[in-house]
Amino acid sequence: MSDELDENINSLFQRLLPLLSSVFFILLSYLPFDFMFLNSIHPAIALVCGYFWLVHRPDLFSLGSVFLLGLIDDLISSAPMGSSIFAMLVLYALTNAASRFLTAKPFVALWYGFMVLALVTMLSRWLVVSVYYSCFLPLGILLFSYLVTVFCYPLVSLLLAFVQNKLIQDED
Amino acid sequence: MKRRRSLFLHLSHIRLLAKKFALVILFLSAFALMLVNKTDTILIEKTSNVATDMLSPLIDVLALPAKMVVRSYDYFRDLRQIHADNLRLKEENRQLNLLYDRYKSLEIENRLLSDLLNYVTPPDSDFVTARVIAEEGDAFSHSMIAYIGDKHVEKGQVAMSERGVVGRVDRVGAAYARILLITDINSKIPVMVESSRVRGILSGDNTTLPKLVFTPLDAGISVGDRIVTSGVAGVFPAGLPIGKVVSAEKNEIAVKPFSSLEKLEYIKLINYGLEGLLSEDDLQLKHEGGHE
Repeated sequence: MSDELDENINSLFQRLLPLLSSVFFILLSYLPFDFMFLNSIHPAIALVCGYFWLVHRPDLFSLGSVFLLGLIDDLISSAPMGSSIFAMLVLYALTNAASRFLTAKPFVALWYGFMVLALVTMLSRWLVVSVYYSCFLPLGILLFSYLVTVFCYPLVSLLLAFVQNKLIQDED
Repeated sequence: MKRRRSLFLHLSHIRLLAKKFALVILFLSAFALMLVNKTDTILIEKTSNVATDMLSPLIDVLALPAKMVVRSYDYFRDLRQIHADNLRLKEENRQLNLLYDRYKSLEIENRLLSDLLNYVTPPDSDFVTARVIAEEGDAFSHSMIAYIGDKHVEKGQVAMSERGVVGRVDRVGAAYARILLITDINSKIPVMVESSRVRGILSGDNTTLPKLVFTPLDAGISVGDRIVTSGVAGVFPAGLPIGKVVSAEKNEIAVKPFSSLEKLEYIKLINYGLEGLLSEDDLQLKHEGGHE
């Protein structure tokens, strides 16, 4: 009985690991780092994590996880509630649509893919929030934030790859 | 039995449909949340306060090791410029001593003149020093979360660094408060130019330089002018330093805050006893009044 319970908890933890690791990185991205430019322009870490898991483990990162990640990001940030969820859903739709170009591709191809999808996602969020405030938000800051996000991708995905390897080991 | 079976079929049909249209439904939920955020601010505020209280301790725990890493980096970076800093500080200290003497004589003169005019002094203030645990700054919002513990902090209190105003308390949870920075698009502060007393509104636009708006066309505002709070509307007292004008064009006056908003570790949340901002109860009453 106890073994079965342990097994169930382990299995649940494994299924939640992509979501939990993403939440960890999102929380980390809100820390007040006085490190180069990272405090003035925050990278959109939720997009990096969402993209990584949607490409590598779509079986463990469902639509519900995408929604929940967006919701958590919305709750921490003071941007209009729902705007980050919207961005995550756009990313989900785009990644699904482009899945045949992204599956089992080398890292550089995935990075290029992220560059394109993150740009579309961030621009669509920018448009929606601009409509919300009835004025255009600063596009320069958005593009700078986009560049920071794109350059953060290799590092964050490297760390997430460790989590993924751990997952594969546990599954084996 | 037949009825139960048809009900089961019906439910599974609905589940199938929901699965098929899940993405659309969630998109609609996101839009619905934004709509609620726009119309029912009290509900969102309360939910957000609870969430901030739940998530902030996690950020707080992560902050400690991360700060140690960053501090070590800062230590080695600062070592290189210690000599130049020392010379600059000596010169700054010399100038500050001169200013201090001048300040003391002005203070006495001010007290004498105030007594002469029977001037009513502004209300006393009390403050809480809070540790910044999370910051965000991007195209969508500019705010920070500060740990206040069990200290009493109210919505609308002024948030200041040692150099000037950084924002105001926007939301207060059980142990954490969210500070809306002066650069955020929702921040609108009545200000004036310190030298000419020309009034205007300092409006954040999610860039690092908030803009001075609603100023007279012939105000003659120029680069270098100091901007302070005007005290109009009774949220901020008059005379608190905010920043200085860095560009004054015909249709855009940009102000650079005195405080480095991206380098704040501790802030003061000051209660001046002003009641310019509507309380939650007032808002609730207004909200209910609107429905009647």
